[in-house]
Parts: sequence; C-alpha cells; structure tokens
Amino acid sequence: MYQFEYHRATSVEDALAKLKKASDGKLVAGGMTLIPTMKQRLAQPSDLIDLGGLKDLRGIKVEGGKVVIGAMTRHFDVANSADVKKAIPALAVLAGGIGDPMVRYRGTIGGSIANSDPSADYPAAVLGLGATIKTNKREIAADSYFKGLFETALEAGEMITAVSFPVAKRAGYMKFPQPASRYAMVGVFVADTGSGIRVGVTGAGPCAFRAKDIEAALAKSFTPDAAGTVKIASKGLNSDIHGSAEYRAHLVSVMAKRAVAQALGG
Amino acid sequence: MTVIKRKDELKVVGTRPIRPDGVDKVIGRAAFGADLAMPGMLVGKVKRSPHAHARIRKIDTSRAKALKGVLAVITAADLPNIPSEEAFMGEGPMNFRDLSRNCMARDKVLYEGHALAAVAATSAAIADEAIELIAVDYEVLPHVIDVDEAMAPGAPLLHDDLITAGVEPKPNKPSNVAKRIHFEIGNVDQGFKEADIVVEGRYTTKPVHQAYIEPHACVATVGADSQAMVWTSSQGQFMVRAYCAKLLGIEISNLRVIPAEIGGGFGGKTLVYLEPLALAMARISGRPVKMVMNREEVFRATGPTSGASMEVKIGAKKDGRITAAQALLKYQAGAFPGSPVGPGCMTAFAMYDLKNVRVTGYDVVSNRCKVAAYRAPGAPISSYAVESAMDELAQKLGMDPIALREKNAAREGTKTVYGPMLKNIGYVETLEAAKKHTHYGIKLGPNQGRGVASGYWFNVGGESSAAVHIAEDGTATVVSGNPDIGGSRASMAMQAAEVLGIPIERVRCIVGDTASIGFTFMTGGSRVTFATGLATIQAAEKVVEDLKRRAAMIWDISPEAVDWRDGAAHPAGANAGNFQPLTLKEIAEKAGKTGGPIGAEVSLNAQSPGAGFATHVCDVEVDPETGYVTVLRYTAVQDVGRAIHPSYVEGQIQGGVAQGVGWALNEEYVYDSKGRLENPGFLDYRIPVASDLPMIDAVMVEVPNPSHPYGARGVGEVPIVPPMAAVANAVRAATGIRMTQLPMSPPNLRAALRKAK
Repeated sequence: MYQFEYHRATSVEDALAKLKKASDGKLVAGGMTLIPTMKQRLAQPSDLIDLGGLKDLRGIKVEGGKVVIGAMTRHFDVANSADVKKAIPALAVLAGGIGDPMVRYRGTIGGSIANSDPSADYPAAVLGLGATIKTNKREIAADSYFKGLFETALEAGEMITAVSFPVAKRAGYMKFPQPASRYAMVGVFVADTGSGIRVGVTGAGPCAFRAKDIEAALAKSFTPDAAGTVKIASKGLNSDIHGSAEYRAHLVSVMAKRAVAQALGG
Repeated sequence: MTVIKRKDELKVVGTRPIRPDGVDKVIGRAAFGADLAMPGMLVGKVKRSPHAHARIRKIDTSRAKALKGVLAVITAADLPNIPSEEAFMGEGPMNFRDLSRNCMARDKVLYEGHALAAVAATSAAIADEAIELIAVDYEVLPHVIDVDEAMAPGAPLLHDDLITAGVEPKPNKPSNVAKRIHFEIGNVDQGFKEADIVVEGRYTTKPVHQAYIEPHACVATVGADSQAMVWTSSQGQFMVRAYCAKLLGIEISNLRVIPAEIGGGFGGKTLVYLEPLALAMARISGRPVKMVMNREEVFRATGPTSGASMEVKIGAKKDGRITAAQALLKYQAGAFPGSPVGPGCMTAFAMYDLKNVRVTGYDVVSNRCKVAAYRAPGAPISSYAVESAMDELAQKLGMDPIALREKNAAREGTKTVYGPMLKNIGYVETLEAAKKHTHYGIKLGPNQGRGVASGYWFNVGGESSAAVHIAEDGTATVVSGNPDIGGSRASMAMQAAEVLGIPIERVRCIVGDTASIGFTFMTGGSRVTFATGLATIQAAEKVVEDLKRRAAMIWDISPEAVDWRDGAAHPAGANAGNFQPLTLKEIAEKAGKTGGPIGAEVSLNAQSPGAGFATHVCDVEVDPETGYVTVLRYTAVQDVGRAIHPSYVEGQIQGGVAQGVGWALNEEYVYDSKGRLENPGFLDYRIPVASDLPMIDAVMVEVPNPSHPYGARGVGEVPIVPPMAAVANAVRAATGIRMTQLPMSPPNLRAALRKAK
C-alpha cells in the first residue's frame, strides 16, 4: 500500500469538502473493495475520507411502499432487518449472501453501488427492483445509473446518501458464486413489481444490466421455465479464469429460472 | 521387538486432553515467524522476475544502494556460487546448487516470481522503493509450462546441462526430463494377455498449493563474533541450519536456528527461500533483517505440488482378480528437478497385492516455481489416476468397488513394486470398516453418486532427538527437535506422561532450537509421533531408571528392588523392604542430594515406521445445469496404528480430506500465455472453507504398529491420498461421466456434461 492521508468525515458536507481539497481523494465506506485495491497497489489515492462516522447515513426505513436504506448501512444489517425480510425478502437474501461474515459486517450498500463492481450483488437488486439512488444533489433512476465497468452516473462531488427500493409484489435473487471470492459469477434479481417484470443481472457483463428477453418471457408467463428457456447471447459478456462468456450466458438463464422459483416461494 | 502395551494398560495415551497450542493460535497470541522484532531491525524485500524465462544480461543496483535508508542490496553475485551436490536434508531429493539458484537466480530467471535481488532497508516503504530502483536487463526466452509440452522435442530448455538420469544409454543431449524412474515386477505383458477385461485411461492433475495460512517469514542476525541466528517458521530448524550454512558458507556451529510457532506447512516449509537472503543481508548490514512474504509471493515463488500427466492400465479376470497393472507418470518439477514422482511411483499400486506391475515415472522441469513437498508428496496424484481406473474396472465388472479392492488388497507379506514387503498393515480393516459404516448403506437421490477410493503412504522414521527434564517441583518438560505442525507437542507430552506415570497436566513439551536439542530430521513423512515419540519414550524411560536409582539410594536398597508405577517408586516386593512409595515430586525435591538434576536426552534413528492405509467414501450431488458439485457426505476410514491423541488424529484426517476435496474440485494454478500466474491470491484461488464441506466423519481403525510401544503409526499424510479419486468416482456415479482432468470445477464439469449429451 502506498502512503495516503486519512480523514474522518463528520458530515456529508465535510466529507465532500475534504474530497474537494484533496489532490486525488477517495471516499471510503466499508473499504471492502478500495482497501484490497490499494493493497495490490492498483489504486494510489492521496487521501482517504472515511465515512464510518456518518451515523445519519445508517439505517433502514419502510415508508410509502418503499424500503429506504441509508448508504452506510452494512450488509449484515440489511440481511437481518425484520423490515426488509418482510417487505422484500429477496433483498435480505441477497445481502446475506455477499462475501463472508467479515465482509458483511464491514461492507455497505452505498460503497457497493458507488463502485459498480461488475460482480457485486447489490446492482442486480437496484436494477431488478427499479430502485432510486439518492445523492447529496439529486435522485437517479436505476436505469440511468450503471454506465460501465466501475462507471456510474455519479458526478464529481456527488455522494450516495441512500437507496430507495420499491416494494415488489414478488421477487427472487439467485447467484452462482465465484468459488473463491464468493462474488457473483452471475447473479439474477427477478421482480414482479406489480406494474411489470424487471430482471437485473450482475456478474455477467461489464456492469449490471437488465435482461430484456427474460423480462419479456416472464411478462407472458411468470414461471421458472419461461425464464430458463431464454437463451442469452454470450457476446460482450465477461470471460475470465473462472468462467467463459458462454458459461456466464448459460448461468444467466439458469439463475433467472431459479430466482423466479424463489419469487414464487419455491 | 518392542512389546506393544495393551490399551487397558494405558492411562494417558488414547485420551483427549485439551490441546496445549490451541487457544494461543486462535486468539493470535502465538509467536509466528513474522512476530519477532529486534532493536535496529531492517526490513528485507525481494526483487522478482516478471518473466517466465529470461537471461539476465545485467542487474544495476547502484540507484537502490544510493537510496537513503538502504543498508544492503544483494544479487547472486554476493552469494557463493554453489557447485552441483545432492543433498538429502529435505523431503525428497534436492541439489544444493539448485536450491541456491532457486533462492537467488544466477544467469537466468526460470519462472515468474523468481528472486533475483534483495534489499534491506530501515523501513518497508524504503525497501519497496529500492526494489523499484533495481534495473534489470533481460533477454526474454521462450518458455514452457505444461509437462507434456516440456517433454516434447524442440521444447525450450531450462538447463543446458540437464541430462536425463536413469536412462541407458545415457542421453547425449540435454532435455527437460531430469530423471526416469522404473519399477517392474512379474511379467506385465503376459498378465495383460491373461486378463478378461482391461481398462485404460489418461489423467491429468494441476499444481496446487499447500496454502498454509502463515506466509514464509524470518528474522536473521549475525553477531560481531560471526555467530548467526535465524528465527523462522519452518518444518525443520535443522533443515534451515543445514541449507543456510551450505548456501552461505557458514560453519554449522556458528548458526543457531530458532523455530517460531508454525502456521501451517503441509510439506511446503521444507525448503529455504528467505532465510539465506536475510542472513546474507544481516552479515552485510550488521543489523537484524526481517523478511516476510506476502500471499502473492507465496503463490508465485514457493512450492506448490506437481501437476501431472498420467496413463494407467489395469487388467483383471472376470472375478475381479487383477492380472496386470501399469502406469506412466509424468510429474512437473517446476524450474528445478525434484518432483515427487518417485513416491508417486512407489505408492500408485501399493494398496494391492499384484504379481505383475510396471510403473514408469518422469521428473520434468518447466518454467514454473519449484515444487515443494505437499502431504504424502506424489501419492495423491498417482492415486487419483489408479483409483479412478479401479472404479472403471469395478463398473465394467459389475462389482462393488469395496469388494473389488478386498479381492486384491495388500495383506501381511504383500510385496511392493519398489521392493519391501508390507507387514502389520491394516488396509483390509479399513475396507471392512467402510463397508460396515452406515454411510455405505444410505440411499441416494437423483443427481447424487457415491465414490470409494483407497490410499497408501509408506510413512517415515529417521533421525530424532528428544529430552525429558524433571523440574524441582516434579513437573516435566519434553524438548522435541521437531516443529509442531500437527499436534506433536501434545503427543510427545502424552507419551512422556505415560512412561513417567504422571498426569498430562504436569508435562509440557517445547520445540528446541538447534543449539538446545540433538539433531532431528524435519517434521515430514508422518514421522514425528512415531520417531520422535520413540526418542521421547526412551528418554522418559531413562529418567524412570534414574528415579528408581534415586529411590533405592534414599531407601538404601538395590535399584533392582524398586518398581515404578503410577508416578512413584515402590518397593518391588516384600523382600525389598517396607517403605512408603516415593512420588516423582518427592524424589525431584531431593534431587540435589541424590546426584543432581534429573533428565535424559535420547537420539536415535527410528526404523519400521509402519505403513498407513485409508479408504474413503464420498457422496456428491451434481447440479446438472451448472456443473457445481456439492459434497454431501464424507467418511474417511484410516488405520492409525494407535491414536495417541484421537482428537488430533481426527483433525489430521479431516484436514487431509478438506485439502483433497479442494484439489479435486477447485484448486489450480492458472497461467496466461506469457507464463504468468493469474490467480496468486485467495480471491481467485479457492481452498475449501468450512461452508464448502459437510462434517467429515473420521473413522479410526487401530492396527497397532509393533515398532512403537503404544502402536503409533504416522497419520498426517495418508488422508489426502484418496479424496480426489473418491470425489471423481462419486461424480462418475452421479453423472455417468468419468472426469479424467482435475479440477472438476463447475465450468469444466458442465462442459463434460454437455459433451456427453
């Protein structure tokens, strides 16, 4: 790890002011991605601004048919929230399957979504449920948030404060974990929102995306087989030492099928 | 011959006292290799090759040397140029020249990660900066990774002077094949002619790392009087001493090696990597030098075990009797000769009583890190091929796999292909226990399958020393010459307590440094509980003789008239006199008046360690859509001789199975087209964790080893021998597909399932 200046933010404004002052600063939430990246010397920020003290950004509220999760809420808290389990059980399932217990105690939803790691779990739910990303400046719809590999719609000086998930009629999340890291080799979040079907896919492409073909098939028939029989093209999908693009494409159909079964209570 | 104690005569052996090393390890208080700090200590770092194969044209260290805070910079030019000389200090053959060049490349780098320079500086940041300032001019050479490609004509050559040994006539050209090994008994061709059924297959395995949780680490100092000290985590302080002394030209009496607590070794800590460099830089700088690898360095530059390419053929009569068997085993050695193909050849068919056997092995170098020992080195690889073929044979014969093995099982007096006759073995007992186990009768569901496989490890004895000292309060200390990687402090203390007749709580065992205990061969080969246990028992027996002599002196009777039982001296009979027993504590308190301190050290060379056999039963469920394998149930039956501390033995068995399952399903070294390792970390290299495995049922069968008074035989290695075939055979039963390549990772298995459709 290279040397850097460490700051502890006292408020959102303070964090952003410190970020602005730094020559190449980074906000750090749980640090589950940034710290390993720095250890491997793939990142060399001049300053780290720790958001760990921002208690206002922690917590879960259910209001007006929405589950609103503060950006600094840990995966463990989402996985074990009675409110989340009741409102969107699939979201609790997703949070409870991220990494391992150590990661879930440290990692945050804001950090996960801000980073747009191609194999993080949360982006699938953000797209699958059609969530809204709340920042210090504005609200961003899920569909216009993920831009590419580690790229999002967030602008300089913009910071996620919360994520608002509409409660779906029924939803399911299944992932095939990369055997070593437990990141999603492929993860599929399927939701019957009440006003339509949404299918968010993570792990398979450069960033999370919606599987429109599967959405169309499920709109006709919300059954596991309807999802499972859709063939996904492997072009443009990720290929690495853990699995080829073809294997990932195949897994999208399989995980979608199983996510539907889960949504149906199977 | 040693008289084996009956179980009912034993008070300590066979019980399960709380493990003495457990809590400190769990809470992080144990002092591992990286935990020593000394005043004025420098941080040492290694410059490593980015190329798989390259000639070093020039190394310019001037800028690194000029950096403030850098107190030593070394390359091979600063170390003695060691001539070729065979050494047998480690686990498996080793050449001092190769070892020296593995620690620090000379002329050529032979794999990505190969060390070629090192620096010692006042801080880690300065050392890192200095490493970057070392400029190396490389001439990149073609490289070869795969074993079959390395053997092919025209393959890039790693060593210009490597002539294949074991081939007549001697080849006149160098190649990448270091050695050919051949064992043959009976008439194999005739045996195949007599067979009703012949199975044949080609199998490959990938290199896998021992993945000890503690990376290599050491601290070295050199005093003004030339006396040097190394504190290090290894499987043998005497091994480190011998290698460092040789590589640096230090007299052995000037080098003291202190063993740190070891955080896992599994065979991988039987070589030196950092220690000679730290010593060399301590000598130059006059300061202590600490060197600690990170995980990436452990993966890139320390020994995994071999990957292999193998062909196996077995012929049998319709009743299952094997008429002939042969195997061709090609093992990757990494950049320098020394793969465990020898033990691979020896163990391949050793479970069976066969008249006609032929085994040929090749030790092949390629541009990857030099292999190191890994639990039963070589045996799991060849057993994967042989036990897969045995499963095929059982299928073709329509025979139960345990029945087929029983039909051909090695028994008392079976002659091995490599010479010795097997005696006092418990293989058949493991088969019987596996068959009777409730696991073997459980009904399986769809996509589920059951696999059986057996394994053999010859176990090792050898040179060991142990001392037993009685303190003035009547407690005892055992000093062992072996680093404790599998519970040997507990087993030494228990064996001493058994002889002394005192509770285990009053005996402690420590691992001595090279100056405080006699020479002891390193911890490996499953030898310590047996061989160092014998030294401990004999030292304790000497102490008991002395205690009896002291009691006789106090009572003023003949020593022969004194009995030792329950930790006290008793008059041997009515004629001896009427005295109250004298306890060990009472005698110890008066030691000064009866001849001084009480203690004894024994050094010996233990023979007839007693071979180990195991039979494993594994149930899996295969997800046909993803290729993912879930291990549902696992039962590992093993002849353990007699368990000194059954919980440690069960732990050894479960650990071996866990590592074997990882080898079977996920672990592999992945290289890119330039010969660079792509997964040098635990986020990309999967070792199994608790959530990947069911509870592993360790079943101990006890056929006592007559060479040890308590019947102990080595237990640490044979449990990793059967798992790969056990899992593969279970996958075969679940899917109908024979997986002949490891790992059976989800994409690989799914591809095989699709191909079969």
